[in-house]
Amino acid sequence: MTWLIVTREVREFYRDGRFLFGAGLVAVLFITAFLVGYEQRQNVFSEREVAQQLDYDDWINQPERHPHDAAHQGMHVFKPIPPLSFVDPGITNYVGSTQWLKAHRQTEVKFRPAQDATGLQRFGSLTPAWVIQVLGPLLIIVLGFNSFSGEREQGTLRQLISLGVPSWKLLRGKALALFLGAFLLIAPLLLFSVWAVSGDDLAGSRHDTLIRSGFLVLGYLVYLGIFIFVTLAVSALTATSRISLIVLLAFWIIGTTLAPRALVDVARMVYPIPNQAEFNTQLNQELQREYAEAWQEHFGTDKRWGSDVPLSRWGEALRVDDYAGYDAIDRHFGALWDRYEDQRRLQEFFGLLFPMLSIRSYSMAMSATDFTHHRDFATSAEDHRRLIQDLISSNLTQHADGHGERHFDYKVGKEFWSKVPRFEYAAPAAFFALQGSLNSLGVLLASLLISIAFAFWSSRNLI
Amino acid sequence: MLKANSLTKNFNSNIALNSVSLSVSQGEIYCLLGANGAGKTTLINHFLGFLKPTSGEVLVNGKCVTSNPLDTKRDIAYIPENVMLYGVLTGLENLEYFSALATGRKKPRDVLRKLLADVGLPAEAAERRVATYSKGMRQKVGITIAMAKNAKALLLDEPTSGLDPKAANEFSRLLKTASENGVAVFTTTHDLFHAKETGNRIGIMRSGSLLAEFNSDDVSHADMESIYLKNMRD
Repeated sequence: MTWLIVTREVREFYRDGRFLFGAGLVAVLFITAFLVGYEQRQNVFSEREVAQQLDYDDWINQPERHPHDAAHQGMHVFKPIPPLSFVDPGITNYVGSTQWLKAHRQTEVKFRPAQDATGLQRFGSLTPAWVIQVLGPLLIIVLGFNSFSGEREQGTLRQLISLGVPSWKLLRGKALALFLGAFLLIAPLLLFSVWAVSGDDLAGSRHDTLIRSGFLVLGYLVYLGIFIFVTLAVSALTATSRISLIVLLAFWIIGTTLAPRALVDVARMVYPIPNQAEFNTQLNQELQREYAEAWQEHFGTDKRWGSDVPLSRWGEALRVDDYAGYDAIDRHFGALWDRYEDQRRLQEFFGLLFPMLSIRSYSMAMSATDFTHHRDFATSAEDHRRLIQDLISSNLTQHADGHGERHFDYKVGKEFWSKVPRFEYAAPAAFFALQGSLNSLGVLLASLLISIAFAFWSSRNLI
Repeated sequence: MLKANSLTKNFNSNIALNSVSLSVSQGEIYCLLGANGAGKTTLINHFLGFLKPTSGEVLVNGKCVTSNPLDTKRDIAYIPENVMLYGVLTGLENLEYFSALATGRKKPRDVLRKLLADVGLPAEAAERRVATYSKGMRQKVGITIAMAKNAKALLLDEPTSGLDPKAANEFSRLLKTASENGVAVFTTTHDLFHAKETGNRIGIMRSGSLLAEFNSDDVSHADMESIYLKNMRD
């Protein structure tokens, strides 16, 4: 009986041309977005591979010199492109993908809130994620706005109810028919992912990508499911299909264009973030304080690199100085980054009203292009910088400090350079993404349950 | 089979039905006469469970409609004044869908084609989309849906309005066949002649009250017309 209802619904979508037109249009956009993203990724991917290789070659082949000079020149590390970034580029385009590992300071990563936030909602960047997040609900609305209200106008609803068909069975059949539409929209995502990953030796762990794709599809089905049940509920409650269309379009416009922008501002008000100049000033002040304290403790002076500390202790001083900085850097970047996470979480909670706010975050996390993944990379890069610093300061302590006043005549060559390992960064596994998405996924599932309950409640008395 | 016990329905301050009691037993054809707005459709809506009584009760096959809304619907088939079908589906597909929903299983298409032919729908029309149908053709599909349900009672809301005389006549015959098979038929109409021809029992309703009830065999055409007009005048 349910299948009967589903087939009739689908037959109607198909015969009145709505499905072919709507889904066809969405599919064309979707596939275009997909191919463009995939192509870009391939290009950038190879560029990055080459650049990373060249940079390390430069490090290895640098001439003999004092290790600390080499540390000032530093090394560049490149963030690998997550395999699914072509589905959802997330914040990829708004945060730096290259980090300079140099002496003394963690380099600035471009985390300006303006970039982090408004860039994300730029309407019009054609990506597969955007197509599903924004046009997916629209397709559901176009297919489903008259599900009940249209039949009410037509008079067929009366006819159906008079046959003794329970309204929940009608609802279930209609919901399944719409899910079929949603699935047709998402199926390409699944197919393309499998295809892209299986034919791609750059993609890193294929297994992981498959798991991520699976969760991505699951998340989007939940997302579209929310719209399916809201659409059916509104259609059951409104007297005419014209009214249901207006109500649903209003909800769509608010939920997919206005709310995502507005909530960014709300989050910024609730969890304010210093601008970059303020951030740097505060970090510098803190660093100076830490340095002074550490120098005072070890060398009895708060003047860094002054004549009070002999050159025979320069290597040791470098180490003390570095370690004093690590703490301050961790604290400051940590606090800033926690704020970003707070902002994100706040927006995710508003997903209860506007599901796009939680799916946006979930989708980025599953595509490994969200801030949490970026933070993981930045932390790794900073660890690698510290590894280099520590190698250098301990080498200097062991070998150069003995030279006394001639400390800076000490030079090292290839043998030492190659002790510094290549920066090998593996993006975290799907489990990491899932852990970070418990909040957004929870909100999505809760919204789905609420919308289902709402739909059943609305259609309990259909005449 | 169909029973109303002092059924009263108020819409705000309007009294739509005023303590109406009537009953239709198996094999009986009950014709309810009345002008527009007399409350005939309101009464049918109560049997369908679309409206809840203000007081009194409605029973189908001994079961109260208000407390068994789904069960009671299984025993009745309903043909409205304008049968509403899905325009983008063919007549045959409409019949297939509605009858499968009503009975819980799909009938073979050949059987359905035969049913449509039986009520006089041309074979060619059965395969066309309903959007192209005339009112008479839609009524025929509606009748077929009702027949295919094999219900114990038929509820008809001015079913012959808009049908040509030949179709109306065929329709009356179908009702008689149904009643011979033990189906209880309750139909509303404006058509005195039709009521006298098909009905066993006739009721006259005005402003929500059932004013007269008699067996059609007990009165002549002329008597009936005078009874009707007398009740309408008061």
